[in-house]
Amino acid sequence: MLQAAPWRRKSYQCLYSTRKTSTFNGMTELSEDVVPESSLQVPGPSEEHIQRFNPIARSKRRRSQLPPSRYQFRPPRYYRGPLHPHQPPPPSSPASRLFVPGPFSLPRLEQTYHSTLAPDLLTLMYTHHPPGTLPGPSGPRLRSWDGSSPYHKNRPLRAPRGSPVLPLLRRPITFKNIPRLEKIHVHSFLKDAGVDMQYLHVAGMVLQAITNARAKVFKAKHSIANFHLRKGNPCAVVEVVMPRIKEYKGVSGRSGDSSGDIGWGFSPEIVGAFPEVEINYDAYPPRMIPGIDIVCCTTATNDKDARLLLSSMGVPFYGKHIN
Amino acid sequence: MSLSIPLRRASPPNPSIPRIQCRHATLIRRPKRPYTFTQLVTLSDGSTYTQRTTSPAPVYKSTKDTRNTPLWNPSSQKLLNMESDDSGKLRAFRDKFGRGWDASRMQERDEDVDREEGEAEVEGRGEMEEDNLMDLISGYGQEAEEKGEAAGSRKAKERSGKGKGGER
Repeated sequence: MLQAAPWRRKSYQCLYSTRKTSTFNGMTELSEDVVPESSLQVPGPSEEHIQRFNPIARSKRRRSQLPPSRYQFRPPRYYRGPLHPHQPPPPSSPASRLFVPGPFSLPRLEQTYHSTLAPDLLTLMYTHHPPGTLPGPSGPRLRSWDGSSPYHKNRPLRAPRGSPVLPLLRRPITFKNIPRLEKIHVHSFLKDAGVDMQYLHVAGMVLQAITNARAKVFKAKHSIANFHLRKGNPCAVVEVVMPRIKEYKGVSGRSGDSSGDIGWGFSPEIVGAFPEVEINYDAYPPRMIPGIDIVCCTTATNDKDARLLLSSMGVPFYGKHIN
Repeated sequence: MSLSIPLRRASPPNPSIPRIQCRHATLIRRPKRPYTFTQLVTLSDGSTYTQRTTSPAPVYKSTKDTRNTPLWNPSSQKLLNMESDDSGKLRAFRDKFGRGWDASRMQERDEDVDREEGEAEVEGRGEMEEDNLMDLISGYGQEAEEKGEAAGSRKAKERSGKGKGGER
């Protein structure tokens, strides 16, 4: 600070002198248009001010503490756009209004995953290539045109056979990319909610009870869908709820979006059998308990790996497995 | 004439609200989190674990779960033979007529003649199960090799004395 101040004053003088010379050179009309004042030309703090500036001494001179608001950072209550000078801190910061503390517990499923499931999955999915050998070249993902027509020239490559969508690549599984459960969507579509809002509230309460998180409402064009997202585990679902279903075969082997997300549905009767709902069953109007869809999003890039992961967690699958 | 009369508003316009569209401030809402309790879940086989849940019950004791459902325990003979009496009809019958008509009792009566043999069989079954398990652990890779003689090969060896009697 002390060193910078003289330099700033010198530069100011220098700028001032150049402006003077420019007027001599016949550039008056330009300099009239241009506003001469600039924040850069403001003189720095005076020598006396610098001598006086001593925050440590000032704080020591203070008898009592400052009010708490001077010590504590309070994030803005409103977000006023990216150009506003007062920006809210990121949600990961404890000062942020969006901050969610936690996790405070290590769920049993997570412990089991790290101690048992992950090494087993790695063993099952790992493909070993002896040192010095390379895996064979994989085929082209996009087909080329056969050139039977002159119009085939300069065309972009053809989409894969069967569907226009390119499937995700399956990278070799190593200790770094063992498939894991990323998140679970619990979703409930309520077609009666357009008529009676009660359905929406009941479904929100049921989903909150099941998932420990507040549900979000998404409005469709003609009816209302309730949607909910959670980062969590299906421990209770697999351990307690699934066995209670009568004549339960498991999750269909055809389930999945061919990129590692596998979902299934539960009817209202089964939702009523969740222990969290069951303990307070009288609080929900029995007709309004919704059926729910559960989608397990995994980091696996194909359904086969995702199914292996989920079945290692205890989800049974039946029928032909389609990947 | 009616057009010249200005339309009355329900409430006077708030002068502080600007009329021109602009970038308003968005309220940053605090995320809502339901209260969660710590619950001790006791499964049917007695194993326990704790979980955070919205259910206020401190202990949850499950009667039917993965530990006693045949779908999750396909190899368990005990679960396969378990009768389902959800409506209570079987119990009502037994209250009325006693347990003499049970399938297991009837079988016992039949097998009462050669009970000793039956006991021996039960013992043998236990040994067989153990052997199967050992085979699974040790000889998983050589399944194709020892096809057909996987079960009971060890027992055969034991029976043959010091292993010099024969291959089988």
